[in-house]
This record gives sequence, C-alpha cells and structure tokens, in this order.
Amino acid sequence: MLSAEAITKSFRAATGRLVAIDRVSLELECGARLGLVGPSGSGKSTLAQIMAMLLAPDGGAVRIDGDRVDVWGVRCTRELRHRVQLVFQAPRVAVDPRLRLGEAILEPLAASAIMPAGADERAELLQTWAARVGLTRDLLERFPHEVSEGQLQRACLARALVVRPRYLICDELSSMLDVSTQAALLETVAAIQAERELGVLLITHDRVLADAWCGAVADIRELSTRDEAEAVAVATQSRSGALNVLLRGGLRRATRP
Amino acid sequence: MSASSGALRSSLNIGARRSQRLAQAMQRWPVSVRVAAGVLGVLVVVALLANVIVPLDDTAVDLDRVLDGPSAAHLMGTDEVGRDLFARVLHGFRISLTIAVLAALAAVIVGTVVGVLAGTMGGKVDALVMRVTDVFASQNHFLFGILLLVLFRPALGGAGAVMLAVGLTHWPSLARIVRRELMSLRERPFVSAAIGGGASRWRLARRHYLPHLMPAVGLAFVLTVPHAVFHESAYSFLGLGLPAHEASLGNILADGQRSLLAGGWWIALFPGLAILTAAMTISTLAEYWREHLHPRWRSELEL
Amino acid sequence: MTSLLEVEDLSVGFRTRRGVVEALSHASVTIRPGELLLVVGESGSGKTVLAHMLLALLPRNVDVSGSVRLGGQELLALPPAELRRVRGRRMALIPQSPASSLNPVRKLGGQLLEAARARGLSEKQARTRLRELLAELGLDLEFIGGRYVHQLSGGMQQRVVNAMALVGEPDIVIADEPTSGLDADLVDATAAQLREISARGESLLVITHDLRLAERLAGRLALLYASRIVEVGPTMSFFAGPAHPYGRELLRALPEREGKSIPGLAPELTALPGHCAFADRCPDRFDRCGESIPDLYPAPDGVLARCFVHAER
Repeated sequence: MLSAEAITKSFRAATGRLVAIDRVSLELECGARLGLVGPSGSGKSTLAQIMAMLLAPDGGAVRIDGDRVDVWGVRCTRELRHRVQLVFQAPRVAVDPRLRLGEAILEPLAASAIMPAGADERAELLQTWAARVGLTRDLLERFPHEVSEGQLQRACLARALVVRPRYLICDELSSMLDVSTQAALLETVAAIQAERELGVLLITHDRVLADAWCGAVADIRELSTRDEAEAVAVATQSRSGALNVLLRGGLRRATRP
Repeated sequence: MSASSGALRSSLNIGARRSQRLAQAMQRWPVSVRVAAGVLGVLVVVALLANVIVPLDDTAVDLDRVLDGPSAAHLMGTDEVGRDLFARVLHGFRISLTIAVLAALAAVIVGTVVGVLAGTMGGKVDALVMRVTDVFASQNHFLFGILLLVLFRPALGGAGAVMLAVGLTHWPSLARIVRRELMSLRERPFVSAAIGGGASRWRLARRHYLPHLMPAVGLAFVLTVPHAVFHESAYSFLGLGLPAHEASLGNILADGQRSLLAGGWWIALFPGLAILTAAMTISTLAEYWREHLHPRWRSELEL
Repeated sequence: MTSLLEVEDLSVGFRTRRGVVEALSHASVTIRPGELLLVVGESGSGKTVLAHMLLALLPRNVDVSGSVRLGGQELLALPPAELRRVRGRRMALIPQSPASSLNPVRKLGGQLLEAARARGLSEKQARTRLRELLAELGLDLEFIGGRYVHQLSGGMQQRVVNAMALVGEPDIVIADEPTSGLDADLVDATAAQLREISARGESLLVITHDLRLAERLAGRLALLYASRIVEVGPTMSFFAGPAHPYGRELLRALPEREGKSIPGLAPELTALPGHCAFADRCPDRFDRCGESIPDLYPAPDGVLARCFVHAER
C-alpha cells in the first residue's frame, strides 16, 4: 500500500500563485484504481510529486509498503524509487529533447545500473515495451520534436513502467491528448494492472473520466483531515457496478473494483 | 496518432545523420559566410603547415638584405635585420592563433566550471561565486590583462602569461550563461523524470546537463577567439606578451611601427592584415552561428 | 446579414524539403447563414489547417487548390491585401485563451473601441454597438471599460473577447478549440456561451477535438481523419450513431462509453495510402477498402460518409 499521511506543503508557484496542501491523506492499495480530482491549481500535481518522492513535504509522511520515506529527490534510494513511478502531464517537457524515444524509455535502467548488457537483449526489451504502448519501431528512432504529443506520452508511460513499479501515479495523463490516445494509454495501464497488481493513482480534472475508469474517486479539496473524529461514510457506485466506500474526514481507501 | 505538426516541422531530418545535417545547413549559408569559411580554412591549413612550407630560422639574419621591399625572393620583404618577413608572418600567424585558441579554451573552462558550481550548488555558494564573478566582470579587459601580465610574466613566460590574462578576463559572461541555463534546466520536468528513474547527480550532469550546455559553451569559445587574437597582438605589441625575438604577429607589428620611419611599410601591413583577417573570418562565422542559435543566449554572448 | 460560406474541393499542402505534406485533401463543406458547424478531428487530422486557411494564418510555403467562396465571392482569387480586408471585416476569430489575446496594460474600454473602429464603425456607432452587445452577453460597458484584463474572471474575459469578435457583425465567427486548456467542468459553460453566440444569428464554425463539447452543441458536424472529411451530418445523428466506422470507434473510446482504444495509429500525412485511410484499423474492412479512396456517399438521416459500406445504396 502506498499511503500519504497528513501531507502539508505550501509554496509560491512560478506564476506567483500560492499552492497549498493542508494535511491531505490517502491510501492506495495494490491493484486498485484511485481517482484524484480537483480544479487546476488545487495542488494535485504537488501531491503527486511528493508521493513519487520527488519533492519533500513541509509536514506529514509517505509510506510505501510500510517503509517510511525519509529522503527525497536525488538522494532517495533506488530501491524505493522503483516502487513508485510518475507519468507527467505535458510529455513534451517531460522528456530530454536530446534523447531519442528508444533511449529515453530505457534511460531509467541505465541510470539505475540495471540495464541488460547485451545489445540484443536491450533491443528486445525495448521492442516489447514499445509494442505494449503502441509505438512502432521507426518511432523509437525519432527525437521528441519529431513525434506527436500522443506518441510522446506513450513513450513516457513505457519509461515509467520499464522499472516494474508497484504503484503508478498518472498526473493528468491524457489531458492534452485525443480521446483515442487516452483510451489506448489507459488500456495499457489496465493490462499491466491485471498482470502485476499495479496500484494506480489517476489524477485528473476530468471527473467523468475518473468516475468511469477508477474504482473510487476523491476530490483533493475534501481530503484535508480537519477533524479526525468525523467519519462520514459516503457510498458511491462506479461504472463497473462495484460498491466503493469513500470516507470523509480521515483516510481515503480505494478498493478493488 | 499521426505526427501532424511533428511531420511538418522536421520532415527532412528524420533519421539524418549529423554529417548530413551539417552538409544541408552549409548549403544555406549566405555568401559572406561562405567566403569567411573558405578564407579561414585556407589560412588554418597554411598555418598548420607553416613548418613544412617555410621553416623559421630566427637567426637567418642577412644584413645585406636589410629592409628590402616585397620581391620574388622575399614575398613580403625583409625586416630590419634582414629576416624574411613572409616566414615570420606565417609562423606568427600560427603562434598567435594557437595562443588565442588556448586562451579562449582557458576562459571557457573557467567559465563553465564556475557556472556549474553556482548553478548546481545554489544558496550561499551561488551567491558568493556570483559576487566574485561580478568583480571580474566589471574589470576593463585590457587594463586588467596588463596587470596580470606584469604580475605573472616572470613566472609563466610570455605565452603562458598571455593565456592567463585572456582567460581570466573573458570567463564571466560564460559563467553567467552556464549558471542560468543550469538553473532553468533543473526546473524542467524531464529532470524530475530522470530523478524519478533513479539518476544520480553525476548522471544528471553527464547525461542531461552537459549536452544541453555544449552549444552555448562552444559558441562562447568561438566568439572569444577573435578577442584573444586582438589581445595577444596588443600585449605583444606593447612588449608585454611574447618576447621580441619570437614571431608573434604583435611583435612583428611592433617592429613594423619602428620601421615605418625608415620607409618599411610592409613590415606593419602584413601582420596587421593577418590579425584582421583572422579576427574577421572567425567573427563572421561565429556571428552567423549566434544568429541561428536560441534567442535566449544572444544577448548574453555580447562579449 | 450573413452569407453562405462554401468550401469546395479545398486542398492544402505544405511544401517541405521532403516533398508535399497533404494536410487537407479535397475538403468540401458549406456553412449556411446562421448555421453552427462543428469541425471535429483528432490532432493531425487537418482541422486546424482548415481553420487557419479560412483565417489566412497559414505560412507561405503552402500549395492551395480548390475554392473558398463567401457570399459568392471567391476568396482565393483575391490579392493578399484585399483578402486580408475581406477576412477582417467578414470573419471573426474567437481565440483559445482570452487572457493572452488581450493587452494586459491597456484598459478594456480602449481595446474594445479599437476593435470596433477597426471594423469600420465610427466612434459613436462603436460605443452604441458595444453597449448593446455587451449587455446581450451579460456585461456592462461602463463596468468593463475602466478595468484591466486581470481584474475580470475567466468567464468575463471570454465574453469580452467574444464581444470583440462580434462587434463588427461578421458573417462568420470561428471558435478555435474553445475548451483547450480549460478544466473539464467548464465544458457546459463554454457550450452555453457558444450557443448564445449562435442564437444571435451569425454563422458559427467551431473547431475542436473535444467530443464532450461537440455533444452539447446542435447544428451540423464534420469529422476529419487523415486530411479528409469522412462524415458530415447533423450533430445529433452523429452522437446517436455515427455512419462512418472511425466515428463509431471514436465514440467508443470515450471513457463514459466503453473506453476502448482504436488499434494501430493514424497514417502519417507524409505517407497517406492510396486507399481508405482508416482501412488498416477498421473492424468492418472488406476488399474494396484496400483498393481505392471512397467518396462521400449518402447514409441515413441526411448524413454523408466516406465509406464503401454506404456506396451500395
């Protein structure tokens, strides 16, 4: 289980606006789909970065499978790193423009010194992942400025999955993409989820998408724990018909559909 | 999904190797740039082969031929002790250019190191480093260079002192560019993504930061060389650079100045032309490169 | 008074060093006076090129063939200066993000007046028109006039920009990706604003990839795929049941429907096949689909579809 406990963070964003998360808690179980909705500027991306150990919170804790996260950013241990991966919102700035798609996808392996030694092995690994996300071989040779946003995001998804994480955080995965690309990306995630009990946190401003795809949906504005004692259970029914329970005023729990 | 705008933007360069791209780019050069490249190319080749073409012999003094004008035997005439000017100018060009290139290299290395230090460490280190940079940047290049030469020439010798003088006066602008680039790079999501993938600081620097910095660094280097040529010539002219007997363009120019009164106009003309040609051709190429580079760097690289 | 906009057999190709990229192929569509036409397509389909074509925003290295007639007048035959004038007076653009198309350091009153004067109105006429127009859109000229952009909410900014577009009484208003960059919960508000504009009587062309927005608007819908129009018909018919397989698969991909992706990728515009561009991904493909490019055939409910399935009838 990936959990955020009473996370607090506030800072002035580059645009001058104040971003604040105040004691937000949530829990994501393996194999579950949790949707996190809220308007732009409500701190969803910040929370995503904190849970992916890229940013240190002002207060609160993040636990991955029981292990508490103590160091953040570059100093984080690789073993922990590989358990939680993040896919960013705008693929064009989330890839190094000087790397070809194929290189970008395998880069986490190289950076973590777990890249297969043989060129054939590498090619095969790349080919497998490319096929899974719907990229053709010629696209792998291209640079980011030579492909579309949709293709780039597919590459980013492959890059996140190549280290075999247990939890995947998708920060506005498909907000900038066409409907069919969005469907393709989510299908890939669903397939991996079925194979490996991947826990997925889908962050989006699209409430309809969250309701349709996720087992449970929480609004970040309601997640602040103001009063521990208040526990109002709100039952919602997802599209798949499963009954999910959303607790307010405490921890959010996403259950398997 | 189709690569719509991707296809339109880069329709030609998909799969093209770097050499092919360079060849294509060269076809679009305007006439002035092509001429500059051609002239510079010839000069560099000639300079490199200087020893083969005309070996330099400082002691080839021929007192019978003192101050002869240009002739068949001596293409550029002789100087006041009868040495062949053509040989001296050729070697002078080689020597001056070599020193200028090394000096520019020194400036670029110092600038890059300082910029990386400030950009990656941040905080107090950054503040301290930038203040030091400001101190160096506010000096007049030439006067400060003279001060350095006077101080270090005994210890380092002519050539070494000149490299130091040029190096220590020209690094600040590159340091600023490198620092700014680095700080903006660190904010970009792809760096976060790389960290997310498990990259260490070293890997980030090597794999992501340095490749992005290379164009700016390369350009700064090329832009500094003409400056270095002028500086070296000026210092040598004043007698502060290379020793008088060594053939530096500046030295020859100094000789030329003295000989003007005796009517030896050629001794001043040819080295002057050489300096000017070198500086102008390199400048033309560098300016063209800068025009086509990312607009963000242009204003900073006004060296 | 609005007139007919007729686009006939319009093709736009970009001349690149590799050859010609066919961004739009033989597009024919008509917008009747006062009508709302939705041009829907995914990225790379050619819809942006169509919009830019109409607004004269295309770069110079383009090959254009075909005809674009506004009220009978052939626009493509006009010299550039004349063309700009016609477009300025008769076509108005509602740009994507209102805040960035307004001058942040000028009061809005001045900007509105300037827009009106640019359309040929006198100072007095401009004020009157603007007052009326803003009132219709729910704003007060005195209130807005003295303020700066950042002092208004996003919705109000959008209305100001709409007013600037409508003040010259254009023949046709073009809204380019009105929901781009907006949160999904603003789709209803955006649709409402567009309906308001359409209700005033101007022809409205809405270019979008947002199916949720399209669903909330009436009028007709033209669906683009790989540089061609593959379906044209009433918007309602499309959402009830598309005639073209691509349309069908596209709706199925919506998460609130099935969320099912379309296998494969759309063809690159530099390498369009000589047969139906959707054939390789089409679940209903048969032999003829791989042989030639279908025309637009009539399908039920007043729809035209570029698919051989409808050729039989």
